[in-house]
Amino acid sequence: MSVAGRGRGAAAVAFLSPAMLVIGLFTVVPIGLTFWISLHDWSMYTALGDMAWRGLDNYAGLLADSSFYNALANTAIYVALVVVVTVPLSIALGMLLYFPRVAGKGLVRAALFSTYVIPTVAISIVWGGLYAPEYGPLSQLFGAWHPTWLSAPDTALVSLVIFHLWQMTGYYTVLVIAGLTQIPGDLYEAARIDGAGLWRQTLHVTLPLLRRTTIFIGLVAIINAIQVFDPVYILTQGGPAESTTVLSFAIQRAAFQHGLAGQASAMAFSLLLLLVALGGAFLAVVRRRSA
Amino acid sequence: MESIRIAAAGAALMVVAAACGGGGSSSGNTKISFLTHWGPEQVKALEAAATAFEKANPGISVDIRAVPFGNLLSTLRTQGASPSGPTIASIYDLWLPELVRDGLAAPMPQDAAGKLTAGWPANLVEGVTKQGSPRGYPNEVDLYALNYNKKLFAQAGIAEPPKTWDELEAAAAKLSGNGKQGFGVITSWPAGSVHPWLSLVTSNGGQLLDGNTPKLDDPKTLAAAQLYAKLVISGSTKPEMSNANANTTGPYLDNFVNGKTGMIIMANWWQSALKDAMGDKYQDVGVAPIPVGPQGSKSAPVSYSWLTIVNGKADQPRQQAAWKFLDYLNGSASGMGGSSAIGDILSSMGILPSSNADLKAHAAADSDPFLAGYIKELPNAVPFPSVLGGEAMSQAVQKHLESVVFGKETPEAAMSAAQKEASDILTKAGA
Repeated sequence: MSVAGRGRGAAAVAFLSPAMLVIGLFTVVPIGLTFWISLHDWSMYTALGDMAWRGLDNYAGLLADSSFYNALANTAIYVALVVVVTVPLSIALGMLLYFPRVAGKGLVRAALFSTYVIPTVAISIVWGGLYAPEYGPLSQLFGAWHPTWLSAPDTALVSLVIFHLWQMTGYYTVLVIAGLTQIPGDLYEAARIDGAGLWRQTLHVTLPLLRRTTIFIGLVAIINAIQVFDPVYILTQGGPAESTTVLSFAIQRAAFQHGLAGQASAMAFSLLLLLVALGGAFLAVVRRRSA
Repeated sequence: MESIRIAAAGAALMVVAAACGGGGSSSGNTKISFLTHWGPEQVKALEAAATAFEKANPGISVDIRAVPFGNLLSTLRTQGASPSGPTIASIYDLWLPELVRDGLAAPMPQDAAGKLTAGWPANLVEGVTKQGSPRGYPNEVDLYALNYNKKLFAQAGIAEPPKTWDELEAAAAKLSGNGKQGFGVITSWPAGSVHPWLSLVTSNGGQLLDGNTPKLDDPKTLAAAQLYAKLVISGSTKPEMSNANANTTGPYLDNFVNGKTGMIIMANWWQSALKDAMGDKYQDVGVAPIPVGPQGSKSAPVSYSWLTIVNGKADQPRQQAAWKFLDYLNGSASGMGGSSAIGDILSSMGILPSSNADLKAHAAADSDPFLAGYIKELPNAVPFPSVLGGEAMSQAVQKHLESVVFGKETPEAAMSAAQKEASDILTKAGA
């Protein structure tokens, strides 16, 4: 290797080291430690060195645990509902807020984005009041249908999804708007000259060129939805009848309430593997279609 | 993977803290800390007691740390084993077996144990005794009773609170309608869901555990689940009015204080919540024994307690200082009119103190009609079983009980599934 090449290599190491150190310390080490803990029994009251070895028993236990499958199913439903509604809604809102030349667009964007800025813990408490059965504002508004919101197993998870949509859609909409600004205006002009109307422009110009943004939003929406914890912890504690017990809540409960940190770590590590597998499959499908 | 990072980063920090954490007894000054879930007013009283103790005991300093109830157990788990962790902690008795197993609940010194035996009711001393040694001072005692709205009873033409399950069903039916429910239950909160139901079980001659064996499929236990199902089917209990949130408040409480719920089984500690929320209407609240089931002979409410323990992982000087502080805190020198400081603090929250001296000192306050209704039932109280895996078992029961309330499972299927799950949990926990 030439002197210049060696110099560039040293510079790369020097520039990358701080970032790699932070990533290693706060991401790689914790993940490795989580896997190590998942191979043991540990209540968290004792030192790490005093953990009892269980091998893969915690993972075997999960496979036989109906509560784990319930949490997995609730998480899958939650993620699916969030993604299916959020992505099209954000794209539609983004286009509505980007293309028309009307006054007050900036204000609407700011209002939409503001829900993302408010701390989830604080706003969860407010939503608890909004969702109150019988006397809550939303119950009064939809009184004819007697909505049960968080108070019944059939509606509690969907109610949490609605809260998630309210909180996150503004953020995704802003990302869509950012993506729309990257589409050259002359493409629309060419399309119009070729006789394309609004619908065909959307279908053949906007959506294809918004693909990367859409994929990004889809991935971020999946990750955010899988990590849902605060509203579950504050509003439902996984109930009623375990209907809102998602994986993140089940992990927290196993570790901190039941003292089963090994089992909780096995759940967390399984979730990581699942996420990596899902994310990988998603990206593979997208790349194949691109090719 | 935020959850993985948080859990593992917490564990990693514990390792670092364990390596770097300093002891609390350097340079002749012993520093101890007291972890509690009490509110600001009670913390202020505790700090005042600590200041008085420090004056009388130069060389010992006491730091009071308060966290919300929901974070108490997780704080103990993440800080308990650390050298800088709490020296004294206020804990729910259900957590005690695990803390004893892992060495966090130190055995009481002999002189303190002697005072405990002499000054507290025997059943409470037994409750805090594990592996042959008392592990701390019982302080708060809570038990359940039927709370009812006297105004709604009068409007429905019901002369007195129900004494039996049949009377309960009849009264609930009369009180229901026009957006009201006759009998309220609680969901989405393990203790709130299980304890009231278990009070009906024990008042029907049943029990949750026989030794370490669950008795959830016992006919006496099943009957209480069937009672819940009947109340729901008849419309006397509305499941959608039952929800609780992480603060142990929520619709179940709102519905009772707003006169939408005629009766509910709850513990004495919620007196202050009722007073705050109801104002003058608090006068409408009546307290009665748990209605007795067809196979029961007397009302037998579930009870539980809180206790203060000393961290067995702390060094010896700090443990000794901690026991000394607890002795002061639970003795008559720290309180007013013969009460201990702990007795005064508990009484200020409407909670029953537990030592004989405190009960005597606060006899006048305890004659309050609300508290008196509970105190009368204290001799019949059945302590909630405190065993390894108890918390997880309780949540398994909660899950199936709520399934009955929401019509997702029949009482028979729910209790059968709960029996199996509870057995598995206790076996795995080594109870």
